[in-house]
Amino acid sequence: MRRFITLPLLFLALLNYAAPAMAEPVVVVNARSSVTQLSQDEVVNIFLGRYRRFPGGGAATPIDQPEGNPLRAEFYRKLVNKDLDQINAYWSRLIFSGKTLPPKSAENAAEVLRLLSANPGGIAYIERNLLDSRFRIVMELR
Amino acid sequence: MKTTRDYSHMPVQSPACRPYQPLLNLHLLIKSAAGGLPLSSSLAVLCLAVLCLAVLCLTASSPLRADDNPSNAVKPAVSWHGFGTLGLTRTDNDNAEFVRDLSQPSGAGKSWTAKIDSLLGIQANIDFSPNTEAVVQVVSRFHADGSHDPELTWAFLRHDFSPDFSLRAGRLGTEFYMLGDSRLVGYSNLALRPPPDFYGSLVFSYIDGLDVSTTLPVAGGLLRGKLFGGLSPEDTPYGPGTTWNQHGSLLVGGYLDFLDGAWQVRLSHAQVRFNHEAPTDEFLRLLGDPLSGTPYLSLIPDMAIADHWARFSSLGVVYDQGPLNIQFMLNQIKQDSPAYSDSKAGYVQVAYRFRSVTPYLGISRSLTSREPLPNSIIPVPGLDSITESLVSQSYLDQHTYTLGGRWDVHKNMALKAQVDWVRGTPASLFLFKNPQPGWDGDMTVFSLALDFVF
Repeated sequence: MRRFITLPLLFLALLNYAAPAMAEPVVVVNARSSVTQLSQDEVVNIFLGRYRRFPGGGAATPIDQPEGNPLRAEFYRKLVNKDLDQINAYWSRLIFSGKTLPPKSAENAAEVLRLLSANPGGIAYIERNLLDSRFRIVMELR
Repeated sequence: MKTTRDYSHMPVQSPACRPYQPLLNLHLLIKSAAGGLPLSSSLAVLCLAVLCLAVLCLTASSPLRADDNPSNAVKPAVSWHGFGTLGLTRTDNDNAEFVRDLSQPSGAGKSWTAKIDSLLGIQANIDFSPNTEAVVQVVSRFHADGSHDPELTWAFLRHDFSPDFSLRAGRLGTEFYMLGDSRLVGYSNLALRPPPDFYGSLVFSYIDGLDVSTTLPVAGGLLRGKLFGGLSPEDTPYGPGTTWNQHGSLLVGGYLDFLDGAWQVRLSHAQVRFNHEAPTDEFLRLLGDPLSGTPYLSLIPDMAIADHWARFSSLGVVYDQGPLNIQFMLNQIKQDSPAYSDSKAGYVQVAYRFRSVTPYLGISRSLTSREPLPNSIIPVPGLDSITESLVSQSYLDQHTYTLGGRWDVHKNMALKAQVDWVRGTPASLFLFKNPQPGWDGDMTVFSLALDFVF
């Protein structure tokens, strides 16, 4: 009987242990922005450069996490189910045909927060635990 | 080098042509400024013109920039980018040469060659403000004159008047078909090269002109439109050792895109008005001068192609969901001149990504229609068969089956292998070079490529 309890507990413990490694990005805007919620398609349009406006009409400036940050890979995997190679190939098409440029890539996670807090039209994805009153969640990624 | 007189006969009375008038003037200015100078100088003049435009645009947009980060306004930020392919290609048939597209004057036979797909492109993006950017791109590849001499492919200024309205002016990529302006960037494409059945007859890569594009949210998706117009600065290979001067050919077109989630649907139309006759007489001289020097068009003026339009219409559908990518495209090319056959083409390509490896399968088809040939004004023995053989150079009736794989070996680097089985009739000649009497229309093409961006 005890075994039946121990095993699931052990499993749960492992899950818990794994949890901090699993990045959990949330999509946030500057709290001064009037945007309260965005659909997944709207976030895709902004980050993939298809249409960089918020539903109210304001210009949207996306900010990417730095290349090495696992949060970046996790964000694009959850957003469009693509890995970073696919995202790079997508942007190389647009860069070399002289169209839209990719989102500005921050130097580090702290710069993402700094850029976003300085830009009322900014939009970024950050670790949920870095959320504070300067930012507002507009989309949860599942 | 041509003079301004070359364009003086170009009619500009039709309303459709009027918007391009300033553009035409710009082109003339560049041409006359560069008259008599070598090609590289005329390119330098073009770059200069783009920079002048940049300065003009900057001054015009400075009030807009007042809200932006002032540090950007002081010094333009330059970023460098590059793309390239190292490719190897061979076929199983020496009776015709395989080319990537008709911009290549000769192609691959039974021994491995690197000239089909290998290329290198360097691009500089110069940001004058968050909304204004100049882009200059130079590409070295095996092209019309048989050399790898670098070509100035892009040299334009882009200004985003708003996040959804942009204007570009200068030397620009043309988008006759979906993905058409990135067909040299192997890394951005899944397959090793764009299907020749579909893209192979497209010899126009860029124009000196302008384009405008806009995007609107519609019915839960996005509607995107673009219009472009300008003059060609390119040459096209014609017969062996002869090129068809396309300088000054007028290209106009546009498309409508609908994007919704994983779907992208595009309807596009573009047309070209040829500015010069094809070098038919030069070509006939190479074939033993059957008309003894009499200009071919003086006997059969209906075969003229200068001042005639070619019209390209296409439908493209892409479904791109996570690891799955499906492309489906159809096109139709209508030629006002009987010198070239009308044609239709289509392809389907399905790819699925497993971790870093993406196998893909494709099938493509191209077919021309045969129309009655024009009559000569005076009967000349053998002329009809000359006309027949000239028109038959553009005949197509073939399928291609493609199997390949892309392996993303490293960040910004992909290795590809591909086999194409071309199955056509012996008369299907258009997309091959130097066909021999033994050509039966069937060819297997083996290709390897390393694509990279930096």
